[in-house]
Amino acid sequence: MQDRYPDPETFSVGILYECLGKKLELNSVTENRGYNRMIVSPDISRPGLCLSGYTYKFMHDRIQIIGETEITLLNQLSQKDRTAAVANVYNFPAVCCIVTKGLSPPEELVSAALESDTALFLSPQDTTPLIHDLTDFLGEVFAPHVSLHGTLVDIYGEGLLVMGRSAIGKSEAVLGLVERGHRLVADDLVRVRKAGNRLIGTGDALIGFHMEIRGIGFVSIAELYGVGAIKEMQSVDLAVRLLDADLVDETDRSGLEEKHMSILGIDVPMVEIPVLPGRNITLLLEVAAMMNIQAKDTGCTSAERLNRKLIARMGRNRLRK
Amino acid sequence: MTERIVTVPNKLGIHARPAAMIVRAAVEFDCEIWVESPADKVNAKSIMGVMTLAASGGTAITVSAEGTDETEAVEAIIKVVRSGFGEEMI
Repeated sequence: MQDRYPDPETFSVGILYECLGKKLELNSVTENRGYNRMIVSPDISRPGLCLSGYTYKFMHDRIQIIGETEITLLNQLSQKDRTAAVANVYNFPAVCCIVTKGLSPPEELVSAALESDTALFLSPQDTTPLIHDLTDFLGEVFAPHVSLHGTLVDIYGEGLLVMGRSAIGKSEAVLGLVERGHRLVADDLVRVRKAGNRLIGTGDALIGFHMEIRGIGFVSIAELYGVGAIKEMQSVDLAVRLLDADLVDETDRSGLEEKHMSILGIDVPMVEIPVLPGRNITLLLEVAAMMNIQAKDTGCTSAERLNRKLIARMGRNRLRK
Repeated sequence: MTERIVTVPNKLGIHARPAAMIVRAAVEFDCEIWVESPADKVNAKSIMGVMTLAASGGTAITVSAEGTDETEAVEAIIKVVRSGFGEEMI
């Protein structure tokens, strides 16, 4: 397992090349110049207008995609004008440029890149598909994210985020779930990214699919239970808080009160389970996940259905009177 | 044994949420507590029991208790019922 997306804080041109070089078939004509320049924007720019002299609002802090339009424009110019046109772009500190479609960049473009220590990549791929792949990747890198202390597990496709103070028994409970055939996504540290209106959780590359079980130490779930017991990424659909029994007042016994927890601005349904000696937390987590699936499928919880039946019965009793 | 009669004052009667409120009040006490409707008599500390009474608004129910803190217990349950559970009254 590798970290799917680099940290936006340290995201440089060199890291972009490491991550996407193969996929986008990038070939650097400036060796590794400009590799430590930072990429700060999830957007890209087509520098056509800037090359033609209109530099107002030129997005120089974006990755520049030079396609057929730009190259055709440059090729039509005299050598002097071409140097000036390229300078329009390179007078700004450009992040890096990618020439697409296997086009060969004019001499002036290459020398401007070399002089300003800016990476210039060539790619044989068509412009639009390359832009799609690139912006998809950049969108993920710059997506809002947060690291949470908890354990993420997939129960019948439902992502259950188990939280609670350390040593309350999260890992043991989830180990029980793995034993019952569910899949571990991340233990102890869950990285959650916001993708549209969903939350996607993954683990840390270093920790991999290890769990720390008190008294035993690090346990590799992938090695002990095999690939069927692990999952690389999973949406976060339900949060479960394990609470010390003495901290819980008997707030809700019926399950009619819906609780939520906000993660990156998205409301995630939440249940609170008091931990008491002898309670089978594994079983309770499984039931919580199944109830959430059922609630989504039917549009209401079993508590609501039971209550509706009860209210209807009381209505009939009243009529009889 | 302490015993008192109270009328369910809210429109919907004792459905799941009010039942949970009664049980929450009841578990605070050590004594045995019962709620009785014309149909049945159940343990006030059991949410399923209290729900099965299906006591609609206007029904007279009897709250009784036996044990060291029976007076306070009955008092507390009556108070919860009289409050109408924070719902619309008849």
